[in-house]
Amino acid sequence: MSRFRHLGPVLALYRTGDRRMFMAGLVMALTTALAGVGLLGLSGWFITASSIAGATVATALAFDVFMPSAGIRLLALGRTASRYGERLMTHDATLKVLAALRERLFRGWAAPGAARALAMRSSRLLFRLTVDVDALDSLYLRVIVPAFAATGTALAVSVALGFVHPLLGLGTGSLLLAAGLGIPLLASRRAEAFARRRAHALEVLRSRAIDLAKGHTDLLMANRAGAQVSAVTAADKRLAEADRALNRIETDAGFAFGVASAGLLAGVLLVGAFLAERGTIGAPAAAFAVLLAMASLEPFAPLRRGAVELGRSLLAARRLAPGLGGQITTPTRRDPAQADVAIRLRDVTAAYEGRARPALSEISLVVRRGERIAVIGHSGAGKSTLLSLLAGELPAASGAVETQPATLLTQRSELFADTLGGNLALARPNASDADMIAALRAAGLDDVVRRLPRQLESRLGESGAGLSGGQARRLALARILLRDAPVWLMDEPTEGLDGQTARDVLARIEACSKSRALVIATHIRREAELADRLIVLDGGRIVAGAVRGSAEYEEMLSRLRPD
Amino acid sequence: MTAIEPALSGRTSAPASFAPAEDADDSLRVSAVSYRPSRLGVVLQTAAALMWIPQAALIGLAVGGIAAGEPARAALYPALAVFVLGLLRAGLDRSGVRIAFDSAREHLSRLRREAIAAVAGRSPLDISAPSSGHIASALAEQAEAVLPFLARFQPLRAKAAVVPAVILACVFAFSWVPALIFLLAAPLIPVFMALIGWRAKEASERQLAEMGDMNAFLLDRLRGLATIHTFGAVDRTARQLRADADSLRLRTLAVLRIAFLSSAVLELFAALGVAMVAVYVGFHFLGQLDFGAWGGRLSLAEGLFILLLAPAFFEPLRDLSTVWHDRAAGQAGLAALAAASGSGIPIVGRVEDAATPEKGRRALSVKIEDLRFRYPGQDRFVLDGFDLDIRAGERVALMAPSGAGKSTLVALIAGLAAASGSIRIGGEPLNAATADRLRGSMAWVGQPPHIFAGTIAGNVSLGRPGIGPAEVARAVKAARLDGVASARGPSPIGESGVGLSGGEALRLALARAAAGQGAGLILADEPTAHLDSETAAEVIEALLAVSAGRTLIVATHDPVLASRMDRVIDLSARQTAEVAA
Repeated sequence: MSRFRHLGPVLALYRTGDRRMFMAGLVMALTTALAGVGLLGLSGWFITASSIAGATVATALAFDVFMPSAGIRLLALGRTASRYGERLMTHDATLKVLAALRERLFRGWAAPGAARALAMRSSRLLFRLTVDVDALDSLYLRVIVPAFAATGTALAVSVALGFVHPLLGLGTGSLLLAAGLGIPLLASRRAEAFARRRAHALEVLRSRAIDLAKGHTDLLMANRAGAQVSAVTAADKRLAEADRALNRIETDAGFAFGVASAGLLAGVLLVGAFLAERGTIGAPAAAFAVLLAMASLEPFAPLRRGAVELGRSLLAARRLAPGLGGQITTPTRRDPAQADVAIRLRDVTAAYEGRARPALSEISLVVRRGERIAVIGHSGAGKSTLLSLLAGELPAASGAVETQPATLLTQRSELFADTLGGNLALARPNASDADMIAALRAAGLDDVVRRLPRQLESRLGESGAGLSGGQARRLALARILLRDAPVWLMDEPTEGLDGQTARDVLARIEACSKSRALVIATHIRREAELADRLIVLDGGRIVAGAVRGSAEYEEMLSRLRPD
Repeated sequence: MTAIEPALSGRTSAPASFAPAEDADDSLRVSAVSYRPSRLGVVLQTAAALMWIPQAALIGLAVGGIAAGEPARAALYPALAVFVLGLLRAGLDRSGVRIAFDSAREHLSRLRREAIAAVAGRSPLDISAPSSGHIASALAEQAEAVLPFLARFQPLRAKAAVVPAVILACVFAFSWVPALIFLLAAPLIPVFMALIGWRAKEASERQLAEMGDMNAFLLDRLRGLATIHTFGAVDRTARQLRADADSLRLRTLAVLRIAFLSSAVLELFAALGVAMVAVYVGFHFLGQLDFGAWGGRLSLAEGLFILLLAPAFFEPLRDLSTVWHDRAAGQAGLAALAAASGSGIPIVGRVEDAATPEKGRRALSVKIEDLRFRYPGQDRFVLDGFDLDIRAGERVALMAPSGAGKSTLVALIAGLAAASGSIRIGGEPLNAATADRLRGSMAWVGQPPHIFAGTIAGNVSLGRPGIGPAEVARAVKAARLDGVASARGPSPIGESGVGLSGGEALRLALARAAAGQGAGLILADEPTAHLDSETAAEVIEALLAVSAGRTLIVATHDPVLASRMDRVIDLSARQTAEVAA
């Protein structure tokens, strides 16, 4: 059962979630299945008994029709009601778990180590996360609920048949459980590898399709577009093979169910005839047994599909398990000893997990409050890594890091699908509208917001879609203004903005950062010009520095990209 | 796809893009709508369902025999026959489902192939083309939803039309009362389902879209984790995520409450159908309902036969309702595939890969006469009566403000879209017959170059024949990418790995061009855009090194790059001059 061990954290969510709803869904599903089976059994008994009673007028009159016919109607209506309840409750329970799951996963991935790993992951892996979350919802609806209802029904049927004859009950019960649970279990074993292969082939297909669409020109010019077409087609072929294998497993399971069902039906018919011949039971009891047997395997049928999908759910559970166990450890930050020192680094070395070479080596740096420095260097020299270190996202492997509270303005304006106000409130949840307007004014965005019909309530799309690059930057700037931290870290704050907008944004940054320590990572001259001091990084080391007014400072500036 | 059943609400009409293509020549895309489930698969599945009729008859006879006091061995042959028929039924159903599945799966592959071919044959200049994200989603997830629709829904629908009718006829032969019960219940089911379904349909589709948005929300926040961290907002965001999901759950449940009514109606009629038949037959036996059996009285065997057929009568309808939600998703998938398969501006020539040109390259001249091009739906010609003469081995910069057509011109020289006028590459006219071969003698440095899923070496060779490790190593060195290549080694980059910086990506594009041994013409589109000046300078040197001995045409607005060329052509000035002349 080791292949089920990753289900633990997922199942725990059901246990810690709304347990009553979880159980109620199971009970309702069982009631529905029992009512369906009971309806047929009772009907068979009633018809046969009334037929025998109807042979003479006297017995016909003596026959109690009220109880059975009322029972039949009750089961019919009860089945409808419980089916309705079952569907509502199982869906409610599932939706609750999915809500809890997303929250837990977010918290897990937000843990510093996981967040860094996530940031390094490709879009393909990020996409995989959401597909995995979706793959988990069939676990309860398609596996746990039908398995519970069918097993309960099988037990009830064998008890009912046990009243007809103990051996009949025992035999039917064992066959039902063996076939009903055995077949799906075997199918799920066979299907697991193919379900995995299928998930993989679909990912490959997706990634190759993206390569074809995005790399279209490169492929055409290298005369490789035809080869890429073949590659996408080949991924579909692999997918088709896995699809076909899974279909074969599912239909084999259906076939096995059919055989078991036919055997059970024929067997119960024979046993019924035999017991009736011996006078142990009457014809109505035989009819009751046959109809119960006929209906009793039906609740197992949904498990066929559940079994085939189980492999995918297990894969998802295995991949998501690390995210579910995550505990948030808030990074510890040490303030520098002197109040006027904002940042003090002493011989700091830091490395990304799994990289041989440290990303930063022997960095020593002191930044005072009110001081502005620019970190320059080639792409890959370690500029962004230094900011991550100062922001507390990357721990130092050795050396001492002391900083006052810092806020990072990331290279890409990280805005969210939320209202403008919601995006701003991220920085300070208790900010009033007036605070937000003031921050927007300082960032030069108040006019734009005032002209919007819903102002602060205007909604942005995913990643802040709906704003121009300049507007997005100003909004991100307004956000860190609301935060009011003594240290500002900025990663290429005007990258991608046109010259005029960039100068305006930089002027605002300069105006608002007066009493703060400002660290800008940049390769653009206009951004570096803001700094009192330039620091050159190369290969993760500080290789040079210059203060404003010196010849080196001018020389370094001149090597940077103009607008 | 989610297992949560989106209310039994199918779309009543297909979206507009799903309509059959009007163009008679477009026989390819018609297959998106012309799918008919495999006849054999449907016949076998239907036959399997009908096997239950003789099984029911045999069971009825056997129980009738038991009631009549016949010996146990009288039940032996009926029981055996029930078993054999059961085997047959299981076998027929398995074959039928498999055949229907295979035919549907094959059709899906065909649809994918058509969409892929359409994507590959569309000009990169076609701005109306769906985005790569849409294409990937149409080809992957959305196409997946087509399979259950074609493989399950369609055969079940055919089955639901036949099986109840046959059962109805069998029951009618013995008694018209149960037949009437079926006849009344069956048409009411779709009517009620539709009535309730329509009310819930719109709302439930909106809810489903929101369910998808929960994923989007999660991804949106995960992409901005650094910012959420810096504001210490992890806990708040997590709680907001939960609250949003919970309020969505409540709204979804409100819709499901109505939506599930439609399946409850189906259950109700199916259960009541069985119950009413049982009660009628029972009371009929007791002499209290002495009508319906065509003047006679039903035997126990006949009564049981009718009762056993009752659930089977409703079964196809119930099966159909469980896959009903496959329909909306399947049709949406078909529409997405059809949209991806839509034709736009084609490239010149075919997508098939021409043979690699011989290694002994020579620089190629480019002669353009009277070139006219405009984007579809636009009045303005981007290029209008344009002439250009570039000698073999010449290095030329095309300069112009954005939108003046320099990138378009470079693409047209590569045959990436058809234009009127004439383009000669190395003296040979560029047309549908020569385009793919001529493209083979050009190299392309685009901005931003696409990084393919794979290694750096794979990204340089792109799987081109004749480009082995040695050629890759040489190209990587020529493009000054060796530092990056040795740092990354065989670890994946692109879609399946970590990205490259802008400068690294550009050097990768240069290495790609350098590896194309036979290329006599290098086309570069804004190679230094978005690069810092130091990186740009390195890229320029590498570009010059790679293009040694070849013709180089660069579209740029970088004055530093332009100054290193033999000739600078100002497109805006030329266009104005043409107009003035």
